[in-house]
Amino acid sequence: MNIDEIKELLGLTDEDMKKPLPKPTKWSQPYWDAAKKHKLVFKKCTKCGHIDHPPYLYCTECHVDDHEWIESSGKGVLNAYAVNHFGVPFPFWPDLPYVTAMVDVEEGPRMITNIVECDPEELKNGMELEVVFQERTSEFTLPQFRPVKK
Amino acid sequence: MSKGEFAVIGTGEVPCGNYPDRTEFEIAYSVSRMAIQDAGIDKSQIGAVLGAAHIMGGEYNTEVVFGRLPEAIGLRNCQVTGQTVSGGASSHSIRRTAEGILRAGEAEYVLIVHSQRFSQFSMNEQAQYFAVAGSDLEFEVPYGMTYNALAAMVTQGYMTQTGTTVEQVASVVVACNRWARLQENAMFRDKELTLERVLGGRMVAYPLTAYMCNVLADGGSAYVMTTAENARKVCDKPVYILGEGSDYSHRSIIKSKARNLSDMGKYLAPVAQKAYDEAGLGPSDMDIYEVYGSYPGVNLIVMDALGICEPGRSGALVEAGETSPGGKYPCSTNGESLGMGHTGTGCGFAIFVEGVRQLQGKAGRAQVPNARFLIENCGGGAFMDCHFTIMGNEIP
Ligand SMILES: [Zn+2]
Repeated sequence: MNIDEIKELLGLTDEDMKKPLPKPTKWSQPYWDAAKKHKLVFKKCTKCGHIDHPPYLYCTECHVDDHEWIESSGKGVLNAYAVNHFGVPFPFWPDLPYVTAMVDVEEGPRMITNIVECDPEELKNGMELEVVFQERTSEFTLPQFRPVKK
Repeated sequence: MSKGEFAVIGTGEVPCGNYPDRTEFEIAYSVSRMAIQDAGIDKSQIGAVLGAAHIMGGEYNTEVVFGRLPEAIGLRNCQVTGQTVSGGASSHSIRRTAEGILRAGEAEYVLIVHSQRFSQFSMNEQAQYFAVAGSDLEFEVPYGMTYNALAAMVTQGYMTQTGTTVEQVASVVVACNRWARLQENAMFRDKELTLERVLGGRMVAYPLTAYMCNVLADGGSAYVMTTAENARKVCDKPVYILGEGSDYSHRSIIKSKARNLSDMGKYLAPVAQKAYDEAGLGPSDMDIYEVYGSYPGVNLIVMDALGICEPGRSGALVEAGETSPGGKYPCSTNGESLGMGHTGTGCGFAIFVEGVRQLQGKAGRAQVPNARFLIENCGGGAFMDCHFTIMGNEIP
């Protein structure tokens, strides 16, 4: 079904069909600023070297504020996934079926993301992935992943 | 807590399902009266009332916080009231609160109440609120994450890493359904689910079909808790809290203490062991295993921790019928949220109350003969924590 058919069938407004956007915090804003520039970054403590993803106010390992934002290589490995077919919030209906997944990124953090540009049937845990960027709005770009083409 | 310091002496429960005309207040008042009657005490003896949160129910929650329950139930000698909430783990955190109140000598008897009426909300409201509550609003929900997607990912990873089959996962639903059909308050008491039907259900989030996902339901339960000393005076068959083990892992599944999904059972095993040790009992002493995972794959992960099989092999146990009525390891005897219906914070309460009924010999057609000891668990959030409790109708 396309978006107009869904809206008519369920009596939904344009507002109902807007996908949820991140509401950045003071300490996560640099993550989304970087994503907008098509960079995947992580918050790294400059004292103990711990990477926090999601980022928090201070290092969750040593409670220090000092940090840097490191750019990821964008390489990842598929840990586990789900193929969504039904029962998702309305704004995601036009995307069905779509894949949500846990991806282990090279620098260490695990992320929840989408796997795109692939047939869900061909997904295999452990497969190599690379980051791609989906511009959701003029303000927000989401890092997603796709299989590395051999 | 020392072994057998506290006991449950009475329970109450209303049927679970779609009952839009039965308000959450009616449920709360009804189950409270039942629990007090079942406990065999006078309502004037209740010194504290604790309510669990109603998911999405602001008015009820405000009323509980503002002290409606003692007034409406007529508890003239109530000294303490309040709300204790930790999602699906609320049945544990509220009981721990009750234990603290009892230990402080603040009250002799504590009434604990859960109530939920999902049917007052539209499907869209439920999807907007509850479906995404398990996911991080900033880093997960924008990707279309839902509770079902979360459980599906956990199940997919667990299956791949342990060799558990989808038939084995589906068998959990079948086993729960067999128990639910013996329970007069279960949502699915009249609906038989076969393996074929579970596997053939509409695909919701691969590998989970609709029957492997929860159906939100209206329901509620209550119980009365007191010291073991009081319990022996007023009750023929008190159910003692013998051992407890808890651990918190994460908010988001990406930060799980068990980095590999196949190791989640191994991670939880020492937590269950702490409860066994405190009780001075072991897995083979248990007559019942009241497992609450809320999704069949998560039930298997919890079973992996109980010491009844090698971690990763619980699927075979369930598939062989060992957790069904008449099996060697009766599990989730109220049908769990999959067979009973999912009442938000209430699933843990329902399975706890069922455990009490079993040990009091009041479980009707689902009664496990001569049950003396059981292990029970609950957990909340995006599988954020797990709490094991050993209960018994005697102190070993
Ligand atoms: Zn640090």
